[in-house]
Amino acid sequence: MAMIEIKNLTVSRGEKRVITNFNAVIPAATIAVITGPNGCGKSTLLATIAGDVSPDSGEITLDGQLLSSLSLPQQSTMRSVLSQQSNYWLAYTVRQSLELGQSSDAIARIDSVLNQLGIFDIADQSILTLSGGQGQRVEIARALIADRPILLLDEPLAAQDMASCKNIIEILQELKRAGKTILLVAHAQSADLSWCDQIINDLA
Amino acid sequence: MRFRIGRVITPTAAALVVVAFFAASLGTADIDNVWKYIVNPTLNQASSAHNIIWEIRIPRILAAILVGAILGISGVLAQGATNNPIADPAIIGTSAGASLGVVISVLLNVATIGSPLAVAFAFLGAVAATFVVFALSKTSMQLIIIGIGISAILTAAVGLIVSTIERPDARSISFWSLGSFALVTQASLWVLAAVLFVGSIAAWKVAPSLDLLSLGDTSMRHLGFDPQRARLKIFLIFATLIAASVSVVGTISFLALATPHIARNIIGPQTKKLIPFSAFLGALILLIADTAARTLVPPFDLPIGLITSLIGAPILILAVKKSAQVWR
Repeated sequence: MAMIEIKNLTVSRGEKRVITNFNAVIPAATIAVITGPNGCGKSTLLATIAGDVSPDSGEITLDGQLLSSLSLPQQSTMRSVLSQQSNYWLAYTVRQSLELGQSSDAIARIDSVLNQLGIFDIADQSILTLSGGQGQRVEIARALIADRPILLLDEPLAAQDMASCKNIIEILQELKRAGKTILLVAHAQSADLSWCDQIINDLA
Repeated sequence: MRFRIGRVITPTAAALVVVAFFAASLGTADIDNVWKYIVNPTLNQASSAHNIIWEIRIPRILAAILVGAILGISGVLAQGATNNPIADPAIIGTSAGASLGVVISVLLNVATIGSPLAVAFAFLGAVAATFVVFALSKTSMQLIIIGIGISAILTAAVGLIVSTIERPDARSISFWSLGSFALVTQASLWVLAAVLFVGSIAAWKVAPSLDLLSLGDTSMRHLGFDPQRARLKIFLIFATLIAASVSVVGTISFLALATPHIARNIIGPQTKKLIPFSAFLGALILLIADTAARTLVPPFDLPIGLITSLIGAPILILAVKKSAQVWR
């Protein structure tokens, strides 16, 4: 069954048309990767599915429901999103930051998700003192604790070393086996994407 | 190092009480047995000593406490809603809009400074100015720059109006516009207290949104919350608080900007702790500032805004220098 379905999607950023008449079907329990050269619209496609960008035309359905008919809270119960990092200026601890806007169930999962990602030791550290890789893993944790059926991840491996990459890939594969649908953006074309089930690279 | 909220609020509240009593004993007039009058409100009610303490000093002390708390909370709301560390009511146009509202209502003879009707006019001005600034800005940086611009225009308008009016109370209006506790009345204390009461409950209720806004608008939306709607609510609370404060004591600089930074440095950024602590801290700083303003160079009543700048700015600089974790 299609978890994410994209029909005749056209999206512009400012004056520039980035995605033209794009179609894709992503079944449930799949890891799909959007890849391609810089500026080809990878992040725009992900942002459109995340509801951040309104398309010029075409439609997106999540689990059979039209994205444009879903309210913000409804969208948030279907998918979680890892976007490119925010610029924080307030010194919340990692744990305090992860708790923001989450259900008590999600908050109860924080410890185990931090453990999985190998960053349990920084739980009480200020989010302003983290390295790029740690900060990104905290944002991955934010996307994972909500436990939604769909995961939209913009470059989850970008700032990670080899060991962390391997760890994150294992976590994503485990989530897929648990039935999650994962759509991610990967920057490097040369990277090995054999762990993904579906490759999307023809956006224009 | 972070402290538990009770352990910081208790000493701050205690300090506030001590400073308040001390402030009541200080003043241009020398009063014999001043402490007897302070601890006993019914002593010699016809005497000038009773009058000075209970009709002049104590209302002014209460006003400083209430306005300080209002400004402390306002700063938290302004910085949280804009997700910007340099936002404050004077920078994003709210205070100047409120000032213009009050000046217009006073000149039209429909309200007096500090009356509930003046608060209503101040509220309209505050809301209008804040929304113009928001409507014109697309980014956080634009918000600050456009806010400074709108503030400058409105402040100039208030200044020009005030410096050209001819009426018996022109001088006190002029003094008020620069920030002054001289026009505080008992009625205005009730206005301030009522607005502070309602405003702090409302601020407490939007505290989770303020925390969420720190993640940035996109992440907040991803979590299922509407940042613009949250911001609208916060600005209505903020405009009400600023309207009450400006319509009684004019624009007091620096306090709303500095207080939240100092408070975060001590207890961290979580809004539910920050709102009460910032309120107590703002009250304490403003009470000290106003006591200094009226007692340092007798018989002059120094402009309060200058004193808050002198006290708030160095503490702000120290607080921010000390901890790179608070501000990046």
